Amino acid sequence: MKEQARTTGARIGFVAVAAGGLTLTSPALAFAAESESAGISAILPDMAEFIPMLIGFIVVAVVLLKFGWPKFEGMLEKREQLIKDSLEKSEQARIESERVLEEYKRQLEDAKSQAAQIVADAKKTGEAVKADITDKAQVEAAAMIEKAHAAIEAEKTAAISELQGSVADLSVAVASRLIGEDLNDDEHRKIVERYVNEAGSFNAN
Amino acid sequence: MPTNRHVLKEKVAAYASILLDGAYEAGGQDAVLEVRDQAERVMRIARSNMDLSSSLEDSSYTPEQRNELARKVFAQCHPVLVDVLAVMAERGDFALLSRVWASYGEQLERKLNVTVVDVTTVVELDDHLREVIVKKTEADLGTNVVLREHVDPALIGGILMSANGKRIDASVRSQLENARNVLRLSTDGGEC
Repeated sequence: MKEQARTTGARIGFVAVAAGGLTLTSPALAFAAESESAGISAILPDMAEFIPMLIGFIVVAVVLLKFGWPKFEGMLEKREQLIKDSLEKSEQARIESERVLEEYKRQLEDAKSQAAQIVADAKKTGEAVKADITDKAQVEAAAMIEKAHAAIEAEKTAAISELQGSVADLSVAVASRLIGEDLNDDEHRKIVERYVNEAGSFNAN
Repeated sequence: MPTNRHVLKEKVAAYASILLDGAYEAGGQDAVLEVRDQAERVMRIARSNMDLSSSLEDSSYTPEQRNELARKVFAQCHPVLVDVLAVMAERGDFALLSRVWASYGEQLERKLNVTVVDVTTVVELDDHLREVIVKKTEADLGTNVVLREHVDPALIGGILMSANGKRIDASVRSQLENARNVLRLSTDGGEC
């Protein structure tokens, strides 16, 4: 197959070279003839030149149609297929990229949602901790105030008691001195008689 | 079988009875009261002087030595009291003196129908007061009463009477003390 293709290629090359050479040589002949005639004939092709050129053209066209066109068509088809594949790939890539983009967007939304949830949780936890600390502080403050009140009350009671004791001692001392110094013997005896009459009985004990 | 407590009680009663009978035979009621007063003073001296009381009970001394010691120490007292104290010391029973003294008072009241009432005042009693006190105490105790008068300015005023271990404190000192306690303990009206 390869050999045959190589032979066919060589033939095509030969025919092409021959046709090309014929074609290239024909205008030279036409211009030579032009210099020899004048008038309308100057614009009409010379049959002697035209027919070989036509034959050459037809030969070249046939050769090209028979051997060159299929190759060209194959190349076009390959090219078309390649472009088509590329387009399909690009379309797939676009679809994939859109899917990935959607996935990323979804993940981003999830991340945003989670972040918002975390922030909300943190805020709620912070509020709870704050409330707890506030409650504890209030309880401690109340306990301290109560202790302070109790201490103040105890101090007050002690001070009052001490004052009462001092007043009692002072009163008794004053009374003792007044009674001891101001009463004479007769007054003492009157007191004794009154106390004896008012005193309880030995049998009562 | 009698317990030690009963034996001790009988022993105390025996000492008191001997003392009372001996004093009464020696000088009647006056001697009985005199012995009572002297026994009380001896008791106070023994309480305040631990060397004396411990020596009179010390078993390292012989009974004769304790007897002789008691006789020498209390030689100024009534002879009957000296004899009883010497015997108590000799037998190692001197620590029972306070119980003997109490039993002596009970027997005095029972046998002679006399109760000795100790009366303490700030000033000396006059006859009128003595009569008032005797009437009251005789009515209370149901026996004849003999007053033993004491003067103690520390009472401030009023009277303190005691008999048979019972006591009526109608002194100004105790009333002031009660008033002081009431003032100290009272919280009503103490708000500032």
